[in-house]
Amino acid sequence: MPVPRPLVVAWTYLRLGVMNEMQYRANFFVAIFQSLLQVGVGLAVLALVYSHTSELNGWTQSDLLVILGVQILLGGVVHATVQPNMERLADEVRDGKLDFALTRPEDAQLIVSVRQLQLWQLVEVVSGATVIGVGVSRLPTGMDAPHTLAFLALLGVGALLLYCFWLILATGSFWVVNMWFLSELFEGVYQTGRWPIGIYPGWLRYSMTYLVPVGFAVTVPAQAMTNRLSLGTVGVALAFAVVLAAVTRRFWKLGLRRYSGASA
Amino acid sequence: MGVVEVQGLEKVFRVPEREAGIGAATRSLFRRQWREVRAVDGISFEIEPGEVVGFLGPNGAGKTTTLKMLSGLLHPSGGEVRVLGHVPNRRERDYLRRMTLVMGNRNQLQWDLPALDSFELNRAIYRLPVDEFRQTRDELVELLDIGDLVRKPVRQLSLGERMKVEVVGSLLHLPQVLFLDEPTIGLDVTMQKRIRGFVADYNARYGATVLLTSHYMADVEALCRRVIVIHHGRLLFDGQLEALTHRFAPLKTIEAVLADGETVSLQVPKDEVSGATAQLLAEREVVDLTVEDPPIEDVIEQVFATEAEVVA
Repeated sequence: MPVPRPLVVAWTYLRLGVMNEMQYRANFFVAIFQSLLQVGVGLAVLALVYSHTSELNGWTQSDLLVILGVQILLGGVVHATVQPNMERLADEVRDGKLDFALTRPEDAQLIVSVRQLQLWQLVEVVSGATVIGVGVSRLPTGMDAPHTLAFLALLGVGALLLYCFWLILATGSFWVVNMWFLSELFEGVYQTGRWPIGIYPGWLRYSMTYLVPVGFAVTVPAQAMTNRLSLGTVGVALAFAVVLAAVTRRFWKLGLRRYSGASA
Repeated sequence: MGVVEVQGLEKVFRVPEREAGIGAATRSLFRRQWREVRAVDGISFEIEPGEVVGFLGPNGAGKTTTLKMLSGLLHPSGGEVRVLGHVPNRRERDYLRRMTLVMGNRNQLQWDLPALDSFELNRAIYRLPVDEFRQTRDELVELLDIGDLVRKPVRQLSLGERMKVEVVGSLLHLPQVLFLDEPTIGLDVTMQKRIRGFVADYNARYGATVLLTSHYMADVEALCRRVIVIHHGRLLFDGQLEALTHRFAPLKTIEAVLADGETVSLQVPKDEVSGATAQLLAEREVVDLTVEDPPIEDVIEQVFATEAEVVA
């Protein structure tokens, strides 16, 4: 069976990205340092909270370790793949370089989503996975294969949700030309994902679930790992991902129309 | 049927406008004033297969806007465009695979990697079969003699070297239509010649149609028999380069070196050239004599000056 063409394009970009990053080995050590710091701070805060209580809205310390791990892992995926592409997109809309991506006989959304890679940020994926591992090993229930599979699938869904969120933000630069605040905005919101969304008051919980899908992206996979997952949640998560992906696509096309309609 | 068909093409931009100063800036936060700019204002032309056409005009004349509409990046505000039978702004794959857009001041290769790696990327995007791709690549690399440049990271290349690999990268899919926007900008004379020669070779070898903008008249004179001149978004002239000279430069320059070493330079209307020459030869002792059309730069300047008067 021939490989689908979009995959070939994405794969070629990925290979180039890896080759590119290999030239900057120093970044590898910076990324390790960054990630250690991140894990350390996360653990310290958790320890502080659980020195006062043994449970947070039904989540034990080990449960929260899993959430922290998922948040770090997904953050790593976003920092390595989604964010650099989206920042480049916003930059190119501003200085007109997007033209070249648009003269290619390939889907423009695909191209703008796979051009950049920050390989060394994948260190966060490793440290996130380690934290998850430690958390799970301390759970009384342990893990079985179906839950692990569900967890992996939901991680994928989570990554898709975060990608859509980022693309919607970056597409905004077709209207608001200068979007320098994109990463800060995302980081600020994403940090809230370190806690289970259940602890936030109603309005915040809803906006974190649907408006900014951090809650869905992080908490739902963690639920699979800690035996909290209901089929209903899985259904809602999947449906939401499909709807959000479709809406994102429409919005992207709209932005593109504006780009070609108005810019000089 | 033309490869490029443009009929009454228009592009209007709406741009925010305000007075200078902080007060005006604050007011414009709340109530924007918009002004319409007609970047392209109803131009029509047609280009036949294999033609190399120079697209001329001063900065802001609407050249790049037109090229962007031709390559599908911008939607026209009015009029019609067809290239290779396609409506460009639909961005159909069949169309995009058969054209290329090269902008002299922009870089589309991977900065930190050798160009060869970027070429591989184009192979994936344009879905080129490996054998064909290699053959084309080697052919183009040889034509421009850049065998050792394509192995160096692009960031280590000089501006001219970069442009050469850039051009090769844009032609790997053997496009039938080339839109070249200032392909020689900032290059030294030798390098300009090189790129120029390459475009001519490519045109001859593959029968491709080329529309080229350049501020270097040498480019235009070397490559284009036909020129299209636009100014303020309107078509001023479309025809043979010589006809342009004929129409807008009614004066010829007579230069004579006299026996005493003095040089004389006279601007004379075309139909009086023979009379003036005869008179000069009769009255003075002439060692050397030339009669020339003015440099094409001056002609173009004349064209724009004439237009400005018409508009004013």
